[in-house]
Amino acid sequence: MAGNFWQSSHYQQWMLDKQDLIRERQHDLAILPEDEYQKIFIFFSSVIQTLGEQLKLRQQVIATATVYFKRFYARNSLKCIDPLLLAPTCIFLASKVEEFGVISNTRLITTCQTVIKNKFGYAYTQEFPYRTNHILECEFYLLENLDCCLIVYQPYRPLLQLVQDIGHEEQLLTLAWRIVNDSLRTDLCLLYPPYQIAIGCLQIACVILQKDHKAWFAELNVDIEKIQEIARYIINLFELWKTYDEKKEIQGLLAKMPKPKPAPQR
Amino acid sequence: MENKLKKYEKIEFLGEGQFATVYKARDVDTDNIVAVKKIKLGSRQEAQDGINRTALREIKLLQELHHDNIIGLLDVFGHMSNVSLVFDFMDTDLEVIIKDNSIILTTANIKSYILQTLQGLEYLHLNWVLHRDLKPNNLLVNSNGVLKVGDFGLAKLYGSPNRVNTHQVVTRWYRAPELLYGAKQYSTCIDMWAVGCILAELLLRLPIFPGESDLDQLTKIFGVFGNPTEETWPGLKSLSDYIEFKPFTPIPLKNIFTAAGDDLLDLIEALLVMNPIKRKNCTACLQMPFFSNKPAPTVGDKLPLPHSLRTMRDLDKPSLKRKLLDTAEGGTLSKRLFF
Repeated sequence: MAGNFWQSSHYQQWMLDKQDLIRERQHDLAILPEDEYQKIFIFFSSVIQTLGEQLKLRQQVIATATVYFKRFYARNSLKCIDPLLLAPTCIFLASKVEEFGVISNTRLITTCQTVIKNKFGYAYTQEFPYRTNHILECEFYLLENLDCCLIVYQPYRPLLQLVQDIGHEEQLLTLAWRIVNDSLRTDLCLLYPPYQIAIGCLQIACVILQKDHKAWFAELNVDIEKIQEIARYIINLFELWKTYDEKKEIQGLLAKMPKPKPAPQR
Repeated sequence: MENKLKKYEKIEFLGEGQFATVYKARDVDTDNIVAVKKIKLGSRQEAQDGINRTALREIKLLQELHHDNIIGLLDVFGHMSNVSLVFDFMDTDLEVIIKDNSIILTTANIKSYILQTLQGLEYLHLNWVLHRDLKPNNLLVNSNGVLKVGDFGLAKLYGSPNRVNTHQVVTRWYRAPELLYGAKQYSTCIDMWAVGCILAELLLRLPIFPGESDLDQLTKIFGVFGNPTEETWPGLKSLSDYIEFKPFTPIPLKNIFTAAGDDLLDLIEALLVMNPIKRKNCTACLQMPFFSNKPAPTVGDKLPLPHSLRTMRDLDKPSLKRKLLDTAEGGTLSKRLFF
């Protein structure tokens, strides 16, 4: 619960392990190699982030929506629901759960249309094909596939506490916060508890800024191996970004992606 | 999904509220009796908002909360925005019990109800959840005498100190004075006031502050406690809806609750404090002498049940009673034969 992560559905039902993910994804991985699969999820995390920013949502809502998205496909193939429909549905549900207030469905659809056209035109040549009824239909399916687990813990709050403990450093917080945002492009939120992700991101931020907080890290009561694993995920993401040109590749990847059988009626 | 619709067999209609219709049903797989709360679809405008927000609040919180004195959410099913929630089946509630004139509520009975209420509420508050709609009708009781806090449609996570909340929460009669004065930052204290009102109602068998409007509600409260002042309640006059009332003379609680012992009066006084920060929290209340003094709280299955259910409980376990009756009759019969 809000007061106790260890008794939450997040910890008890939604901490998966790497083997689970590989098993659940085997159908999709037979069509897409792992790096291509990851690139598709990086793309849709960006779609959710951009939609959220356009709708002026708090980062907490955006992060929750992204975790819903990842949890759904941790249990389902990409061909179950077109991720282009699931992404706004996750935002729709998350904004209600986080008590942000209901985003009107018309506004959501309009925003999807503009964002897809103006920001992701390199991926989609056609306009956003979905309407309110698709989102409404998808919403319950999403809720069911999340096993009704709606409260998601995020690394942002522990991050604030940790940075405060180090001694408040604005620059460090800003960078670590952005790395946490980046971590949403990986499987980390499915595999590790948020406080560990926060520490991992903080460590990378320290390295980038060349801040020596070794003594502080040494005193943390955490499994340092886990922190290294988390750091590894982030570094891999940064490595991938160095050579990857999404604008060139994404159309090909989306074309290759497994899809639902009947295309939506316009 | 198709399977789930068939999983629950409707037994009877139980009630209808603003947001939902409730049915008693049988889980076909387990034979358990459950309560199915079918959320109303609402207007066309609301239907555009997808899954009802009240239902979502209940789902998101109850999925995380597990306590004997909190209603259990067993399942959720539906299609599109048409959602049904499946809960533990509860036979009755405190409103029915309070209104049933054939029931005598002893101090031991009242202690048991309030103890269970406070234990459930303590768990909620420790988990940063405000209930925001406590009233006798939402304190559900089953035939084993277990009380569970129900209806989380207004419940909310709290803890962000700057978060502005609506003061239009809690059914008026149980609404704390700070809410009536328009406070938008409030805390667990609002639930504590409601518990105080419920405790008073268990004793009086009538609502203690049956206000007919928000202003009348404050009149009823001041009629008992006198007017609050900046001394007894610092910050009072800066509340957005603050207004001055004509002066009231306080009535000693002893004159209202003539049958209550001192330890019980102390508990009421700890709960019904007008200044929210002076109100005791659940943990502090549970440590008060009332709960450790005699009489001990009534054990679950010894708690009274409403008239309509009492006969049902007897019908449910006929074996022992029948046996006793049989032996009794048999006894007289044999005696007669002998004479």
